[in-house]
Amino acid sequence: MNGLSIQHLVAGYNEHVVIHDLSLEVGKKETLVLMGPSGSGKTTLLLSILGIVHPQKGSIRLNGDDLGPLPLEQRNIGYLPQDYGLFSHLTVSGNIAYGLRIRGVSPEQQNIIVEKMLALVQLEGQSDRRIQELSGGQKQRVGLARALAIEPKLLLLDEPLSNIDQMTKRDVATHLKLLFAKLDIPIILVTHNHEDALFLSEKLAILIKGVIEQFGTVKDIIKNPKTPVIKRLLMPFAE
Amino acid sequence: MAQKLSSKNLIVIVYTLATALVLFLLVTILFQYYAALGSWNQVFAAMGNSRILSALWLSITSSIATTIVALIFGIPLAYVFATKQLRGKVVFETLVVDVPQTFPPIADGMIFLLMLGPTSPFHVNLTFTFAALVIAKFFIAAPFVVSTVARRFRDIQTSGIPLTARSLGANPFQVFTTLFLPMSATDIAAGATLCWSRAMGELGGSLIFAGVIPFKTEVLPTFIALDGKTLTAEALAATILGTTASIIALVSFKMITARKNHL
Repeated sequence: MNGLSIQHLVAGYNEHVVIHDLSLEVGKKETLVLMGPSGSGKTTLLLSILGIVHPQKGSIRLNGDDLGPLPLEQRNIGYLPQDYGLFSHLTVSGNIAYGLRIRGVSPEQQNIIVEKMLALVQLEGQSDRRIQELSGGQKQRVGLARALAIEPKLLLLDEPLSNIDQMTKRDVATHLKLLFAKLDIPIILVTHNHEDALFLSEKLAILIKGVIEQFGTVKDIIKNPKTPVIKRLLMPFAE
Repeated sequence: MAQKLSSKNLIVIVYTLATALVLFLLVTILFQYYAALGSWNQVFAAMGNSRILSALWLSITSSIATTIVALIFGIPLAYVFATKQLRGKVVFETLVVDVPQTFPPIADGMIFLLMLGPTSPFHVNLTFTFAALVIAKFFIAAPFVVSTVARRFRDIQTSGIPLTARSLGANPFQVFTTLFLPMSATDIAAGATLCWSRAMGELGGSLIFAGVIPFKTEVLPTFIALDGKTLTAEALAATILGTTASIIALVSFKMITARKNHL
């Protein structure tokens, strides 16, 4: 299949199993929001896809290729951590070009791609700025531009709106949604915030204790929450 | 009212204790210059003494050599401590970082004499050589590089930056060279400065293992240790030269790198 396919995944840390027999599919151009309470296994699932946590059972395939044998650096996955993970000793353009430089892309080609990415995230003219000078929303966009510059086959975002102040959150979320619409890859976004989930998701997966308790569109899940826990998670929408 | 008074008294006590400590440390550091004022001509002339100049030169060069070796070995060790989960790491780190810094001054000299001296089980005799000076200083001073750099490496490791870099295609070695090293430049320089200053002041190992051979292995601390009791102008000159070099190095470094580190 084109996109991400996870089949019967069991993953955890040594003997402590966090993900129990999880299966999930995210197609190209699809945005899946993964939501769940703390400790539900959201981060472990992301780390399994990235290749940091090794599956004990099951498979993770991307566009038909088994990711299992590949180390993290060869998976070609765009990843935006919660704190954006920007490199403070590099400028905006230095950050965006990092993955390209590592891949041996020529400086001329790097400049072309950096300009294209800056335009994509609406940060034109900011290439020489230092990371410390940027606002939270701008940092997030630099992190996204950097993740997308390598033309990833999958984009993973870990709580992308949690460090954005309430005043600008809606603008940043709107920008994120518009950006997602332009991308031709599967996107998984992790959040514990129901408002973010409602605004950003096409499909929603509720993860509880390492198991996907419910999967579907936001509207369907709000209309028919499968368990009281899910209802509580989505209470503001259900009421 | 009573609460206000007790709070005010507490602040007075805190400031008094802090001031007393600062005065004690500053007076001790600066007293050598005051002591030299009375016999400045003799002290100044002693600074031109060829034996003292040789001791100063050997102190500086052996400390630089120590610092270079400490950086070559210390940065990789700091990386291992910061990034790897090893069984018994706490004990191991205490042994190789904290224990050498708290060793009784003469003890390491004795150990090196037994280990690398005339009766060495390794059949090498480095006593009374420049290498002995560097080895003795290295044992005491290298941990400053490891501890200072490991602290910064740990901050980087826990920030998630390495994970992001690897998702962008960097292998662990590239993450080390393109992120850990440049993002820790200030801390590496700080560790090197501390290491050099500590090496400049090292005495025990140099005294026992390298010996005190003028123009060959005599450094400022060993010169002071042997001539200091007589309170000669030469001993005072050597003291001033040694401590002033360390003061200038540390203060200049702090001023240059006063900017805050960001992750």
